[in-house]
Amino acid sequence: MAYSDKVIDHYNNPRNVGSFPKEAPGVGTGLVGAPECGDVMKLQIKVNVDTGLIEDARFKTFGCGSAIASSSLATEWLKGKSVDEAAKIKNTDIVNELKLPPVKIHCSVLAEDAIKAALADYRDKWGKKEAAAGAAAS
Amino acid sequence: MTRSSRDLCWNCQSEVGGEYFCPQCVKVQPASVWSDYFDVFGLPRKLGLDLEDLQRRFYDWSRKFHPDLFQRATPEEQAISLENSALVNTAYRTLRDPIARVEYLIGLEEGAVKGIPPKAPLDLLEEMLEVQEALEAAKASALDAETRKRLMDERARLAERRRAEEERLLDVGREWDALVDGSRAASRDRDDLRRPLLDRMKGILAARAYLTTVINDLSDALGEDSQTHASHRRH
Repeated sequence: MAYSDKVIDHYNNPRNVGSFPKEAPGVGTGLVGAPECGDVMKLQIKVNVDTGLIEDARFKTFGCGSAIASSSLATEWLKGKSVDEAAKIKNTDIVNELKLPPVKIHCSVLAEDAIKAALADYRDKWGKKEAAAGAAAS
Repeated sequence: MTRSSRDLCWNCQSEVGGEYFCPQCVKVQPASVWSDYFDVFGLPRKLGLDLEDLQRRFYDWSRKFHPDLFQRATPEEQAISLENSALVNTAYRTLRDPIARVEYLIGLEEGAVKGIPPKAPLDLLEEMLEVQEALEAAKASALDAETRKRLMDERARLAERRRAEEERLLDVGREWDALVDGSRAASRDRDDLRRPLLDRMKGILAARAYLTTVINDLSDALGEDSQTHASHRRH
């Protein structure tokens, strides 16, 4: 299969590979998989509790080149966004950016799922504290 | 589902009533009108299958549809025999493989409306991630005898898990078959009962896919050929 230059670039030089401690302040973790191909993707965000912005993101993907590129790109896009902005990232954005062929669209869906799971985990763990802090400050 | 008796022979327009060869003009009929692979061999949609019986049926139809037999027939008949041969081959290959058989049945039962893929159990995903990370670390260092041993033990453990999943799949398959056998009288509840069975099959197939990926990755790292499954290949 012919991968686009962008996929190959992300595959050869994946950005933000690694992980944060799961329980560290502001960290949200998403772990998802694709049952059709057995791929596993872990994506984490680290939110700055003061600004509410995602200051860092990490991923670890065991799967094909498109899955690695999709999650690598996702971490790049996540940085600097607010949690609400991050929730607007769609798999179609990833498909367009990486020029994924139809058979690889599920890789971008996996990346979107991973983002959503990480955001949900963040809200679950830290959202309430943030809201409480906000209420206390006002 | 068998062909409706209203089906007419493409050649002489007489009723063929689901026969593979027209009772009037003896022309071969296109098998593609049969709705599924089980029908092709006249089998019910059950997962328990006698492989010898299946093979006999396959050989039987292969012989009858063999394009060599139609060399002197009309172009229409030649084309039909070729198509039928291909269909019979694909149907046989699919039904012969117990995993492909389940996958095919799920697709058949769910029809055009694709079900939501099962959410993988999180602990399984976490375990797969851990194994992959350990494998990555092992690959980064020299693959000494001790590491090889550890990877092989790990692979054996996961292969055992996969066998257990396949056993569970057989169990669900037996439940399915019992439902098919018993549902002729009370078909009203059939949909309610088969849905959870199909979902369980999908869940087991998903777990099996994750295990297969990791097992193959371990085999690759050990420099051995991985056993790839047709529907499960990385690109």
